[in-house]
Amino acid sequence: METRLMQFARALRAAGVPVSMAETVDAAGALTALGVKDREPFRISLRSTLIKRTIHLPVFDELFPIFFDGKAELPPDMDNALENLSDEEAEQLALALQQLKDNIADSLRRLLRGDPLTRQDLNQLAAMTGLDRARNMRWSEWMVRRMQAALQHDSVRRAMVEIAQLLEQVGFSKERLDELRAMLQANIEAETGQLQNFAGQRITDNMQARPPSEDVEDLLHAPFGRLGEDEMNVLRQEVRRLSAALRSRISLRQKRQKTGTLDLKSTIRRNLGHGGVPFTLSYKRRQKKPRLVVVCDVSTSMRYCTELMLGLIHAMQDQISRTYAFAFNDHLEYITPDLAHGSAQEAVDRVLVRMPPGHYSTDLGGSLAEFDREWLDLVNHRTTLLMVGDGRNNFRDPETGIFQEMARRCTRTIWLNPEPPMLWGTGDSDMNEYLPFCDHVLQVQTMAELTAAVDELLTR
Amino acid sequence: MPDAFSSPNQIRDALHGQGYVCSPEIATITYLSDQLDKPLLIEGPAGVGKTELAKVVAAATGRELIRLQCYEGLDETKALYEWEYAKQLLYTQLLRDKLQEVLASAGSLAESADRIAAEENVFFSMRFLLQRPLLKALLSPEPVVLLIDEIDRADAEFEAFLLEILSDFQISVPELGTLTARVQPLVFLTSNNTRELSEALKRRCLYLFLNYPELEQEIAVVNLKVPELDGALTRQAVEMVQGLRNLDLRKHPSISETLDWARTLVILNAERLDSGLVSDTLNVLLKHERDLKRVQQRLEPMPGDGPEYQGPEDEEDHTRYL
Repeated sequence: METRLMQFARALRAAGVPVSMAETVDAAGALTALGVKDREPFRISLRSTLIKRTIHLPVFDELFPIFFDGKAELPPDMDNALENLSDEEAEQLALALQQLKDNIADSLRRLLRGDPLTRQDLNQLAAMTGLDRARNMRWSEWMVRRMQAALQHDSVRRAMVEIAQLLEQVGFSKERLDELRAMLQANIEAETGQLQNFAGQRITDNMQARPPSEDVEDLLHAPFGRLGEDEMNVLRQEVRRLSAALRSRISLRQKRQKTGTLDLKSTIRRNLGHGGVPFTLSYKRRQKKPRLVVVCDVSTSMRYCTELMLGLIHAMQDQISRTYAFAFNDHLEYITPDLAHGSAQEAVDRVLVRMPPGHYSTDLGGSLAEFDREWLDLVNHRTTLLMVGDGRNNFRDPETGIFQEMARRCTRTIWLNPEPPMLWGTGDSDMNEYLPFCDHVLQVQTMAELTAAVDELLTR
Repeated sequence: MPDAFSSPNQIRDALHGQGYVCSPEIATITYLSDQLDKPLLIEGPAGVGKTELAKVVAAATGRELIRLQCYEGLDETKALYEWEYAKQLLYTQLLRDKLQEVLASAGSLAESADRIAAEENVFFSMRFLLQRPLLKALLSPEPVVLLIDEIDRADAEFEAFLLEILSDFQISVPELGTLTARVQPLVFLTSNNTRELSEALKRRCLYLFLNYPELEQEIAVVNLKVPELDGALTRQAVEMVQGLRNLDLRKHPSISETLDWARTLVILNAERLDSGLVSDTLNVLLKHERDLKRVQQRLEPMPGDGPEYQGPEDEEDHTRYL
């Protein structure tokens, strides 16, 4: 059991769930306490010890049956439809089968006979369909479909309809025929089940064998535009880690600050131990309640990095309760409610679905004007204004007046631009127009730069 | 420590006796938490009975419930212990004569200082230690239930500070040394998931995600808590609440709100649900004006009104008003 448990933990890790050594030990302890006889307590004990985040529960529910229901090892329950046939019927069936193409007839005969696929068959299928290289559970459904295609399930179904007609003509009884069809259908379903289990099992094996690479360092310095899907996943994790680190840093900084007015009451109380002689002073802690207004470009020109940027905004919203996030392409939308619940990934997807990028439709100036009309009262002396975008405006009015007003009203204006300064002002970029009004303009082309930018943003 | 429970089933029965309807999952995990001496971290939306679970476990086992409500800025002095300065000061004043006596025969300054130092243990002893919830839970001679409520509201460093307590059940007090729990308490932590808790904290806990209950389970809760309400009406009311949870509302009605509503229906002597009654009592369930409006718009007609009833539960319609 221990080895199986370790394998399970490894597969969970490979699927992106952080499972520590201590948690595996707990799981083993839980199994000792509750036993492994009943499935339900067994499942609950593993789930409560190994999974600590709501978003990881689905992963667990997906992997658990693959590992512990043990279906993949057993051949599926298939019935032999042929053994009940009388000699005459068997002969009729054999004749009908001759009408079909050889390979389809073989498949049909095999399915009617109910021979389960052997380990060897399955391995062959895996090699054929590329299942051996699949390392993501998302692919399992598709792999099953490919294997089904290789086994000609659809053709077999059609062939059955054909020979059913033939058989009826030669006097096969209707009930027998229905029985035959039902059994074939059941066998096909059983085999599909076997394929699903096998696909799940094989993918988890693959994941264990080659866990996702962890060279975060290199990725940190890779430009956003060149990242692939797997790399994006690593970066998303990095964003999460970053936000956790920032969280403790902010609150420590707030706690340790030694400014503010003297708090007489608490000073007297603290120094009662010294007979009222004020050895240690205490200050009124100034509750720093920053307000953040983020305006993020989600247009086509920014497409390659919007997802990460939105992910980061999601993380920041988690940390700073007064975060007001906006996204724009051809118009401006308030997206804080979208980011407020669910995991970062879901939240970002929600925004991107609602605001699909269009071609040459970015209207930065118009969006600023909209902000001015609807939301300007959000910007006050507590506000830090964060613009995320490349400042490309399709040659429309940049509305610098409005931007100047926004920048004047807030404490700090920070612009994060994924383009290198060389390109600012080229083509339809109005970056240089906005430049004079920003307190900081930071180029964020890589994750490392983004990290530095956020650090700067939150700690000042 | 004698374990509080002998099996998950016993937990379920004991909690049921306290008026808490408990799924097999809750019972099993609570049992594990007791067996493994691990704190239990409960997450889930507001009002699904997270805090209640700790309370009923305390009641079922007859243990004292010690509760620490977390909030932003909570620190060790509020959660753990504080020296009682005022009392110390008072004692020094009252004991002045005695001190004079001790010091009277001392020849040099150094000797006086030594003598005072010899007595300083009196002042830094348990006598002057004001016990806050965590220390109280650890030092209690009887086994207790410790509830750390809404841990997500506390600062990240408070979380770090909890680690020692949660994994080893001990606390280091500089003046006194390390205090270890006499009997390990059952620890429950609750979180509304407003922020992500640290991995280190989660690693030390078992995890239970409580969601809104299934239809049958919620009916069982209402039957247990508000038995006066007619059976058919209970089902209808709970179905309606469950329908509301599928809508996109700012705040979904929780179990406690379902119960409030059930009690309201009892007080109003309701015999059936009709749109007028629902519309009048809806503010028991929904606490935001926008939510109220949205639901009131799509209320009619109700089964109580006549045969043309279409029902609030037809799924396709949800988007119409959203």
